[in-house]
Amino acid sequence: MTHKLDLTDIQGNIIKAYGRYNFQKARYLFLRIDDGNKGRKFVGAITTKVTSAVPWDKQDTEGTSAVPQATTNIAFTFDGLQALEIPTASQRGFPDDFIMGMSKRKDILGDDGPSDPANWDKVWKEKVHVWISINGQSIDAVKKRYEWILEQVEASKGGVVLLTGHRGEKGEDNLPYQDASVLYDATGMPTSKEHFGYTDGIGDPVFEGQTNVPARVLGRGKLMRDGTWHPLATGEFLLGHVDEAMEYPKTAPKPWLLAHNGTYMVYRKLHENVGTFNRFLEEQSKSFDGSAEMLAAKFAGRWRNNGAPIVHAPDDASKIEWDQRYAAADEAGKRRMLTDFTYNEDIHGAKCPYSAHLRRINPRGSLEFGVKDAYDTPGALVNRRRILRRGLPYGEVKDSTRDDGNHGIIFMALNADIQRQFEFVQQQWINYANDFKEGNDKEVLLGNHDAKNPSKVVFSAEPGSGKPPHFVSNIPRLVETRGGDYFFIPSITALKAIAAGIVDPT
Amino acid sequence: MSNIAGKAYAMNVITPIRWYMVWINRLIFKIALSNPSTLKGLITLSLIHYARWVIIPRDSFPRLDPSQPKEELNYSYMLFFSNFNGSWDQYVDSFTFAIPSGLDLFWKWNVRYPKSVPLTPFHDYIRHNQIDTAHYYNAYPMAASNDVKSAKIVKKALIDFNATSADKAPEDFLNDYNKLLNNLQHHFGDMRPTPIVSLSADAVRKRHLQSQID
Repeated sequence: MTHKLDLTDIQGNIIKAYGRYNFQKARYLFLRIDDGNKGRKFVGAITTKVTSAVPWDKQDTEGTSAVPQATTNIAFTFDGLQALEIPTASQRGFPDDFIMGMSKRKDILGDDGPSDPANWDKVWKEKVHVWISINGQSIDAVKKRYEWILEQVEASKGGVVLLTGHRGEKGEDNLPYQDASVLYDATGMPTSKEHFGYTDGIGDPVFEGQTNVPARVLGRGKLMRDGTWHPLATGEFLLGHVDEAMEYPKTAPKPWLLAHNGTYMVYRKLHENVGTFNRFLEEQSKSFDGSAEMLAAKFAGRWRNNGAPIVHAPDDASKIEWDQRYAAADEAGKRRMLTDFTYNEDIHGAKCPYSAHLRRINPRGSLEFGVKDAYDTPGALVNRRRILRRGLPYGEVKDSTRDDGNHGIIFMALNADIQRQFEFVQQQWINYANDFKEGNDKEVLLGNHDAKNPSKVVFSAEPGSGKPPHFVSNIPRLVETRGGDYFFIPSITALKAIAAGIVDPT
Repeated sequence: MSNIAGKAYAMNVITPIRWYMVWINRLIFKIALSNPSTLKGLITLSLIHYARWVIIPRDSFPRLDPSQPKEELNYSYMLFFSNFNGSWDQYVDSFTFAIPSGLDLFWKWNVRYPKSVPLTPFHDYIRHNQIDTAHYYNAYPMAASNDVKSAKIVKKALIDFNATSADKAPEDFLNDYNKLLNNLQHHFGDMRPTPIVSLSADAVRKRHLQSQID
């Protein structure tokens, strides 16, 4: 069954990871709406520039368009939709998590201590109603689109306010936007790395209706009993489409027109404690049987330099072999090598630890723990917990021995049900581990480790080898939340209806 | 009242079943018990302490006292009783996706059972027939069922290790100790308080703590 999506109606940031198309720069704006009528006019104006999901082509041929210099997308908090005066009956159709917003969900997300909303960028103390993203192929393209948006704000005559209060590179805490950018290597070439040195953004989920599915589905869709991979149901990521439970997502507000082809976005500014990470890695590698790079790979489930899955390159020697095979492979072969794997040959986690970031975020059938045909399908406990990941690093590391400064990842998760997908992964699989039979042991990189009750994890050795497992203890908090909220990304049709004030659930 | 105590949730669901169909359910239970492979999925779901299905024939409902009049019941009933770790949603979802056909087999003959997929009618059916827990005591609020199993394994292994290796020469002792760690490597998870199962339950807990202070 091929399910055709209406790509002209879906906002582009849902389907496309812009970074893949040479959009190296991004700028995120947050706004408040003080007047419903003026706010709706503003939304209408922005909608004229909103980027859809229509595929880009280098040449302008029928049905496709050339890659633009800059993209624009827009989303709203629940308060924002109220400020835009959508009907009460429509408001009541939204789920609790979205209505409450991210800061009120801190106890579920584990945003405590340094991650507590009290420590977030000042902009989050404001009433955030609207999120606008600009992705550009150059900073100039970003600035040009930003100027245009400022003109629209200006034209709203006080109806819409651009919020200030973002931390910046020079210690400012009052910037009117959040900038983000890919990181560059020593020769100035763009990379897909983040500040800890990991290669990021490899295995995003693949779902029904996306283009070029057969080439991309391996390791990224859902794992079937016969070992093949199928795309996930569209409704896991887009409202108004059937999901993995064979029904339309229950998180959709009324009317259908408002929800259809929309989704929810979790926006998080995640600060990376680079100095702490580097010290921790060095300290831990002293007692580790292998290189520091191999230990770093154990934390993530992938090697830092090229994303090689540790399950296929479990130690320094096999990594060299993997690299040789990788160098010899063509583009499609390289993609396969990065994503096409399971944990079936590594049930005990001797290669990829249970607590590795990758295994926690997408267990790929390993929650059957090697019990043959335990569940209906190997992915039974995984397929409803997947998220599309978007975002870019922000800031620069001026001194790799220090944590302070303003550098990390702007992380965006897209899903049809924030509570069931993003929050579940964050709460149950990152900050807790009962599903992995590891009690309260948190994931190394993202866990909300606490100095008062230090965390530890156990990296298994080959069972029966007589070798002891490796204990990683006193894990410091490596990543801190610095802000964020929950947003609704409407379809382009819904944007027009909101702008015209004609959303009608009767 | 709360269905939650520590890391555990207690679920009671009682559903009507036509009295002349009870024999089929009894047969299904019997077959399931004699073929452990049918319950494999249930046992692999590590969030479950246990799950139990019991048929209560319409003439066998307990009475507190012989003086309590017997009820005239049109239906027999199936009681489902389970303790598990995590939230109601997590549990019901795991059930549905992991072992949909098993659930359908056990509930199939119950009145108005919708089937486990699609999810919402099944959710509604369970919720509608669930009896909330009025009193729930948990001796080990920080333990999930996996923690209990691991603790028992670690305890036994340590006692055995002490008996066999305590007096060995240092080098042999170290070898044995490393072997012990290897055998136990999947049983070292920390036991800490539960992640918040639901914000409502957590608010109840906080209010209770506050009232103790005032």
